[in-house]
Amino acid sequence: MTKFNDTQLTEFNRLVSHYPEGKQKSALLPVLHLAQDTFGGWLSPETMDYVAELLQIAPIEVYEVATFYSMYNLKPVGKYMFEVCQTGPCMLNGSDNIVAYITDKLGIKPGETTSDGMFTLKTVECLGACGYAPMMQLGKTYREHLTKEKVDSIIDECRRTAAKNN
Amino acid sequence: MGVKILLDKAHVEGIRTYDVYRREGGYRSVEKALKMGPEAIVEEVKKSGLRGRGGAGFPAGMKWGFIAKPEGIPRHLVCNADESEPGTFKDRYLMEFLPHLLIEGLVVSSFALGSNATYIYIRGEYAWIVDILEHAIEEARAHNFVGKNIQGSGFDCEIYVHRGAGAYICGEETALIESLEGKRGNPRIKPPFPAIQGVWLRPTVVNNVETLAAVVPIINMGGEEYAKIGVGKSTGTKLMSACGNINKPGVYEIDMTISVEEFIYSDEYCGGIPNGKRLKACIPGGSSVPILPANLLLKTAKGETRYMNYESLSDGGFATGSMMGSGGFIVLDEDQCVVKNTYTFARFYRHESCGQCSPCREGTGWMEKLLLRLENGAGKLSDIDLLWDIQRKIEGNTICPLGDAAAWPVAAAIRHFRDEFEWHVLHPDEAVKRNYGLAHYADPIHVPVG
Repeated sequence: MTKFNDTQLTEFNRLVSHYPEGKQKSALLPVLHLAQDTFGGWLSPETMDYVAELLQIAPIEVYEVATFYSMYNLKPVGKYMFEVCQTGPCMLNGSDNIVAYITDKLGIKPGETTSDGMFTLKTVECLGACGYAPMMQLGKTYREHLTKEKVDSIIDECRRTAAKNN
Repeated sequence: MGVKILLDKAHVEGIRTYDVYRREGGYRSVEKALKMGPEAIVEEVKKSGLRGRGGAGFPAGMKWGFIAKPEGIPRHLVCNADESEPGTFKDRYLMEFLPHLLIEGLVVSSFALGSNATYIYIRGEYAWIVDILEHAIEEARAHNFVGKNIQGSGFDCEIYVHRGAGAYICGEETALIESLEGKRGNPRIKPPFPAIQGVWLRPTVVNNVETLAAVVPIINMGGEEYAKIGVGKSTGTKLMSACGNINKPGVYEIDMTISVEEFIYSDEYCGGIPNGKRLKACIPGGSSVPILPANLLLKTAKGETRYMNYESLSDGGFATGSMMGSGGFIVLDEDQCVVKNTYTFARFYRHESCGQCSPCREGTGWMEKLLLRLENGAGKLSDIDLLWDIQRKIEGNTICPLGDAAAWPVAAAIRHFRDEFEWHVLHPDEAVKRNYGLAHYADPIHVPVG
């Protein structure tokens, strides 16, 4: 069922309260983040329609925004998404090798998800960590100064966390 | 040691908390500013000569002076924290380690502009910084520096953090405003300028994080004193985010009187090039600004020492100079390939083009494809001229400066490194195996003594 629970609704109301009366559409981007985090890490048409209903705007107003910004996933993704930066400064510091290593190790190319639904690999453009390259985003945080060993330990860490939560 | 007025307290233990920040002299500028009154604050910022730190370098005081004040219509200050220019990570550092410095600058600036609801538009990927900022805002509220009747002055100011969702274009102020209204980040046609009709068609000022933080020392020391730091029209200090092939990547506060050579080689800053390699090229102000070969970077075309300030970095115009831009300082050593580096930037701009204007939407894609072909040794000599032609047709022909930003790096790469592009065409087998190296354009190169 695509519905926020009470805690999520409180957060929704807090986000909407940031904007003037009648300008609740302004909360769309933050609310879509909340919805994506709540409903499985991606925005299904059903989720987007629900957000439209909550904000009292037309569904198309949600779709056009969801398709514009790179952080909204329009397809299901793995439990852990490795978003590896590949722009200039990261490339200068060997991001190509990191992408190739992850591809090799997990058997997935950029844009793909492992068959167990655990990992998605995605290449992204500059995330503002150029001095700490190469790097990737994992959930809410950055993993920086990546090496093959570090990638190994991140993968292990994800597997351990997933096993613990099951 | 250079003058430090923004990051001087960055390493104080616990400076992220209100108590430590306050004990170290924080929020004094708010107390002072509330007594001065809005006009006097704007006057001090004008006197300081502070220039916008996001990249364009427009005088901040003048921008503030443009804000319309129609009766009965609220005005808004919006802090641009959508830092996305490749090579730039200074605002992130400032917000992550000195959140209260930004909040303090925002309260003073909001008072000067008459904004009772101020927004921090932060790039969506900086998710953990949203928590840091919201926590700092709550701390400031608990001590009556945010909220109603600040310090008994009668001035109310709320500060809200608005999280973006991944779009470089939202660093452009009218795209940012659209995004803040919950829409796609398509830049608006100007005029009307945001100072007249910005967010929700209300008068709005959009300033970069570092610009707003700099208001704090300006109020504390006075605009005239601030203007004495630096040189000429490059007043105050500038945060540089240094990256690429250097020993000590990171964020540095400079007073704009040091030379580029000192910035790259001194241990106080970048600490030189790793593994004894030589300097090939540098993009001194973020991916959009022209790349310079080492010889033109360290000295101007006239043979004068080049300094780390707005005027000196742009000495020679685009023919032989570059720009201060956002302060994203990207260094390439002798092993790097300029064609490949330019390709990653072209791919970046194609990815980030909002798609409104044909020259940018189509042109960025064509440039990316041509550069990839050249990089892979499958290009033709005529591709280089075609690439030049495309970038010329993008520049100046779009609603917002993203088109220019996409064109300039390609233009500068061809201008200064044409032989490297030609080598890729003439030696396709070698081009896929190795990089071109230093070549003649980087000579004579500086080798530091000792």
